[in-house]
Amino acid sequence: MNKLKYLALLVLGLGILFPFTYLVLLSFSGEWFFPEVLPGYFGLKNWKEILNSESGMGLSFISSLGISLLVATLGTGTGFIWSKSIAYHSQKETWLVLAYFPYMLSPVVLAACLNFFFLKSGLSGTWQGVVLGQYLVAFPYSVIFFQAFWNHRTRQFEQLVLTLGGSSRQAFVQVILPLAKGMILVCFFQTFLISWFEYGLTALVGVGKVQTLTVKVFLYIKEANFYYGAIACCFLVWPPVLLLYLNKRFVYNRLV
Amino acid sequence: MKSKSAFGLLFFFLLGLLPFAAALVYALLYSLGIVGILSEGVSLTHWQQVIQSGELLGSFLYSALLAGTGVSLSVILALLISMGLRTSLQHRFWSLLMYFPLAIPGMVASFLSIQLLSKAGFFSRISMKLGWIDRLQEFPDWINDSYGIGIILTFVLIVSPFFVILFSNVYQNERIAELSTLAYSLGARGNQVFWQVTLPILFSKTKRIMILYFIFLLGSYEIPLVLGQESPQMLSVLIIRELKQFDLKLIPEGYVVAVAYTVVIAIAALLVFRRKEVQVHE
Amino acid sequence: MFLEIKQLSKSFQNDLIVDRLSLSLDQYRTLSILGKSGCGKTTLLKLIAGLETADQGSIRVNGEDMTGKTPAERKIVYLYQEDLLFPHLTVRGNIGFGLKLQKIPASDIKEQVDLMIQRLELQGQGDKMPHQLSGGQRQRVSFGRAIITNPRLLLLDEPFGSLDVGTRQRMQELFKELTALYGITSLFVTHDLKEAILMGDDIGLMKKGSLQVYLDKQDFLLDPLTGVRSEIEFWESLLKPNY
Repeated sequence: MNKLKYLALLVLGLGILFPFTYLVLLSFSGEWFFPEVLPGYFGLKNWKEILNSESGMGLSFISSLGISLLVATLGTGTGFIWSKSIAYHSQKETWLVLAYFPYMLSPVVLAACLNFFFLKSGLSGTWQGVVLGQYLVAFPYSVIFFQAFWNHRTRQFEQLVLTLGGSSRQAFVQVILPLAKGMILVCFFQTFLISWFEYGLTALVGVGKVQTLTVKVFLYIKEANFYYGAIACCFLVWPPVLLLYLNKRFVYNRLV
Repeated sequence: MKSKSAFGLLFFFLLGLLPFAAALVYALLYSLGIVGILSEGVSLTHWQQVIQSGELLGSFLYSALLAGTGVSLSVILALLISMGLRTSLQHRFWSLLMYFPLAIPGMVASFLSIQLLSKAGFFSRISMKLGWIDRLQEFPDWINDSYGIGIILTFVLIVSPFFVILFSNVYQNERIAELSTLAYSLGARGNQVFWQVTLPILFSKTKRIMILYFIFLLGSYEIPLVLGQESPQMLSVLIIRELKQFDLKLIPEGYVVAVAYTVVIAIAALLVFRRKEVQVHE
Repeated sequence: MFLEIKQLSKSFQNDLIVDRLSLSLDQYRTLSILGKSGCGKTTLLKLIAGLETADQGSIRVNGEDMTGKTPAERKIVYLYQEDLLFPHLTVRGNIGFGLKLQKIPASDIKEQVDLMIQRLELQGQGDKMPHQLSGGQRQRVSFGRAIITNPRLLLLDEPFGSLDVGTRQRMQELFKELTALYGITSLFVTHDLKEAILMGDDIGLMKKGSLQVYLDKQDFLLDPLTGVRSEIEFWESLLKPNY
């Protein structure tokens, strides 16, 4: 029995680490023809090429990072502030159900149906358009996320500050923000990852002009350029792993 | 106070709800031929065509089947892992390791699936080396196959780690260990405790999340885009294909599918998340 | 009269929670209100503090009408059942919180807080975080945080409800000492019969949204509704030999 458990644990551990290792190894590989189990070349060639050439990988990384940071900041900020209006509203449940509509819908379908408006407003094919599109997904997420914060106890804290002679502003700055700090950070990274992982909406609104890392991976898959694809995948995967190392909660999302 | 709250609701309406409503209304108008490049006035022809062709229903069933299988397999696998290895997973190293797969986005998972599962992929090469197969063609069809096996496996890869963590957390938060001890002291046996205490509690606490994941998978895009086949296609892929095609006459049909899908999601949200609030005043 | 409440009513949806309630209270006195949960006592306190708006009736403090005044303007502090210490602040930070809101110079705050810590018998605990304190200590900090702002009126909602018997007794004594020392006028809501009698200079009974204030303690003891008589009968029956 115990032996079986150890075996299962071993398989599980290797299974989890395997994709990460495989991606890294593949990014250093070359001349890996069927049916060879090991690549014919192993070295820095791909990385050198991609960093020197005009593949735009660096630019992709920067634009992914910029877009995601912006979406996370806007989504978390506005979501935190306005989720309060909903949490304390007498029709709270109705508002919340409405917030689930855009959140549950496939982002790419939402973007496709809004494409007309993106084209008309000239946002199509711009990073601003991509940020707006992703924000439309991140914002409802953030609103739902913070419902757990605006509970009875938070309300009591707010009221306590008021009766102690404080203004709403003082309550917000001196008590609410410090209390919410942890959750704000988690929401920030969650919305960051929503944006960082997004493909369909980004490709559709960005029409190939905004090449985030996920868009790059898809292009490399289409070109069957798996070595460069693996490098793009590494860029995509390692930042979230780093976040995990900082705090598990940053990457684990749980709504409802 | 009041005006601030009203402003908040207005903002939420503008950026949370209006885009959703605009998307739905635009798609509906397009599908009815009221707007669009080749609009010829109100007609139900596009709806009739889509319904008659059976593609809409086919895509719905196909998507639901793949999403349902994906979630079910993930839940079963996650139950096996989280309950079978419970004590080990509480260890810091293993508990952290379980979070690692959450760092893999759908696009990367699809990329990996091609690398590992395709006929010329890593597993095929190993099978060859081990002498299990002699030719490339003998390796089973897992990518762009008609049963969607590659898609389902990738779903499981993405979703099951999440459920392992979820079940482990619920197990601790709901104090199932204590409740199990209690059940044992009342005379229950191992099997009974699992089926009548552990499992019902885990399910009742997580069923909404399961439904939510089913809906996410139902509308998933990049995984079936990369790993799926021409027909049938999953909903999001079908909708985008129809909307982006060169034959302009067929675009309204894409919007028909989009409207049908959006309405189903809205109804699902209403069913799953509608709750009556109870307020107590003393 | 220092506090005068007339014909105060409040309902939520169709539930009448506070029903044409009137009361008056002299300065520097404590009115204890006995009431079971659900009798409307929490809503009454919130109305006085300005955290809820009354449907009708008036509240006057020292002759001044409170209608339309924000909680901060009223200078009435409401203390919850829980101690509600700010988890991100030390004991010192919690006690001095109200003074900091008034933008009083830091050196003055320190002086007042140090004195309060002494009076609360919390010497040496000033730099601890709330989670490092015991239940009684937390309740004392919560108290000190309210009293130090010199409120016109202190509203206490079952403040000792979660404490064990011994701690509860010590807190009751401390409360009486401090309210006398700082000249505090207060309403003390409790469901504990003995506590109601011990804490109040005046005493009232709240039921279904209305309040009856008794002329004196004797009057309270004699009213069968308060449950004092059945309590006495119970203990007496134990003493009487049963044949």
